[in-house]
Amino acid sequence: MSPSVVGADLAVRDLVIEYSSGGYPVRPIDGLSLDAAGGDLVLLLGASGCGKTTLLSVLAAILTPTSGTARVAGVDVVNLRGPALTSYRRKTVGVVFQAFNLVPSLSALENVMVPLRGAGARRRVAHDRATELLERVDLQHRLHHRPAEMSGGQQQRVAIARALAHDPPVVLADEPTAHLDYIQVDGVLKLIRELADDGRLVVVATHDERMIPLADKVVNLTPRADTSPREPVKIELAAGQEVFTQGDRGDLVYVVETGEIEILRTRDDGAEDHVATVDAGSYFGELAPMFGLQRSATARAVGPTTLTGYGLRDFREKFHLTNEAKIIAQAAD
Amino acid sequence: MLFVSLRDLQWRRRRFIIGVLAAGLVFAMTLLISGVSASFGHEIKQSVAAFGADAWIIPSDVSGPFTSARVFPAAEAQQIAALPGVTGAEPVLLMRSSVKTTSVHDINVVGIPTGGIIAPKLADGHQLSAPGDLIVDKTLHVKLGTTLHVFGRDFTVVGRTSGLTYFAGIPVAWVRLGDLQAGAVNGAPVATTVVVRGTVTSPPAGFLSISNAAVRHDLGRPMRKATSTIGFINLLLWFVAAGIIGSLLYLQAIERSRDFAVFKATGVTTRTLLWGLAFQAIALALSAAIAAYILSIFLAPAMSVPIVIPKSAYILLPVVAIVVGLISSIIPLRRAVTVDPALAFG
Repeated sequence: MSPSVVGADLAVRDLVIEYSSGGYPVRPIDGLSLDAAGGDLVLLLGASGCGKTTLLSVLAAILTPTSGTARVAGVDVVNLRGPALTSYRRKTVGVVFQAFNLVPSLSALENVMVPLRGAGARRRVAHDRATELLERVDLQHRLHHRPAEMSGGQQQRVAIARALAHDPPVVLADEPTAHLDYIQVDGVLKLIRELADDGRLVVVATHDERMIPLADKVVNLTPRADTSPREPVKIELAAGQEVFTQGDRGDLVYVVETGEIEILRTRDDGAEDHVATVDAGSYFGELAPMFGLQRSATARAVGPTTLTGYGLRDFREKFHLTNEAKIIAQAAD
Repeated sequence: MLFVSLRDLQWRRRRFIIGVLAAGLVFAMTLLISGVSASFGHEIKQSVAAFGADAWIIPSDVSGPFTSARVFPAAEAQQIAALPGVTGAEPVLLMRSSVKTTSVHDINVVGIPTGGIIAPKLADGHQLSAPGDLIVDKTLHVKLGTTLHVFGRDFTVVGRTSGLTYFAGIPVAWVRLGDLQAGAVNGAPVATTVVVRGTVTSPPAGFLSISNAAVRHDLGRPMRKATSTIGFINLLLWFVAAGIIGSLLYLQAIERSRDFAVFKATGVTTRTLLWGLAFQAIALALSAAIAAYILSIFLAPAMSVPIVIPKSAYILLPVVAIVVGLISSIIPLRRAVTVDPALAFG
């Protein structure tokens, strides 16, 4: 059951993905580069909205990035069109979608047969191949069951079998452990690890850190908050000068000493929406460093303005934001 | 990949059955309406043929024997019978009346000489032989021996025909010429037409000879507006059927958007998806056509006018149904084409 195509390497360079969300430009992936080889299990780790699924969509040749390159198994996925695109989706990558995405009207066997029949395989050939794959994921006793008649773990295994229909050298899995209980997770994780052990490149998008021990490589798409001590920074701005721009990464929280800062959000068409005005004694820009997010707005001086930029730790101390949620129960070890 | 479409239809079988019945009922209505329209021509053909005429003599200022009641002396028939090429000629008086059975019905009353060349084909009973005898079509739903009061006189039903009607199902009642003259024109020896056997090369002055085809054409004239209206309603019904099939498939396409996205993301071509949806449209339309055949069989007898569904309508229905199905699937197809495979990751 090893993949028929060798050289399942992944090379991503300076990848930028920007799209519109609610009228505002969003850039979840900004200048990402990474490499992986066949046999690697790569985890794309991060919180919701950090761009994990977006990156998988690019690798699956479903989404075209704004800029940068992505080569998967020697194929430039950014510029794929027409038959080459269809061939790539059929033969080079197999995708395990979040929430399984099985067709409810089809049995397990038929769900696995779909990509084969869609590629022109004869019924008997598709039937035999689908049976073999379902046996491989221990579902030989569920061949003729519909998704609604199977557990989440079984459905996920059908989805994995479907992704393997064309024996692709690369498998992409989106949140494969979501919707599963711990018993079901166990089987699915083993299966995913085995896929990589067979020589495939397996890229998994997840926020489930329990998967880290399984991985060969981890790409953390959500930068951790920098709580290391650092010297406060004094900043003097002229009228109209920007402190930071929407979409920037940021590690400082700003306190206005004198003057005023206007917070603006830029729309797709370049127009700016006024969000707030921050005056002396108030602070702004705390969410991006706290949660590893990009700046969601632009901060601009209204007139001559003086700021102090604090690291997260100093900011918390200065404003007495050190309270942490109390843990009121703990699972047994 | 058609198996996916087939499974989807099975999966949503209740909706499919409702769609088939709804579209089938509309298709059945088109069949029945076609049958009504065709029956107008059919009844005219039957009724004109019942006179056994080779030609019809009418006053030159009327358009046909059935659509005008211009009377002339019945004795003209004797002169016409003497014309070269004519082997027989009989005066006929055509009138309209009403008769009360369980309710009041219109009838087309035909006065003919007895024992002559005009003898309508009977389903049961016997030809006119005595004063007061009447032959009527079965569509009036009266039994042999029933007494009917027509033009102030009592008539006894001695014979019944089958399928002799005109003016949209109004039954023909045959009586002796003398009886009709006595009841309708105070005994005046008049007729409205002369039925001729043989050929008339030179009709008497003030008269003209017209063929059976011309008589049929003239008799169909009053029904022509109704026929064209029926044709228009038929066209509207095809649109209704297309709407039913289209909306059903559109709903299906919306619900299956994620399936389509997954198919596209796994390398299934858009063309394959389109074939699948087109297959569903054709399956739905053909199933509706079959339902329409069955429904029309049960519904036709319940119609108050005779229904003659032409064979061509039966043959044409599945063809038109497929065309309707494919046209109605254009919007759902468009929807399937535009589904973004990224939706599979949603």
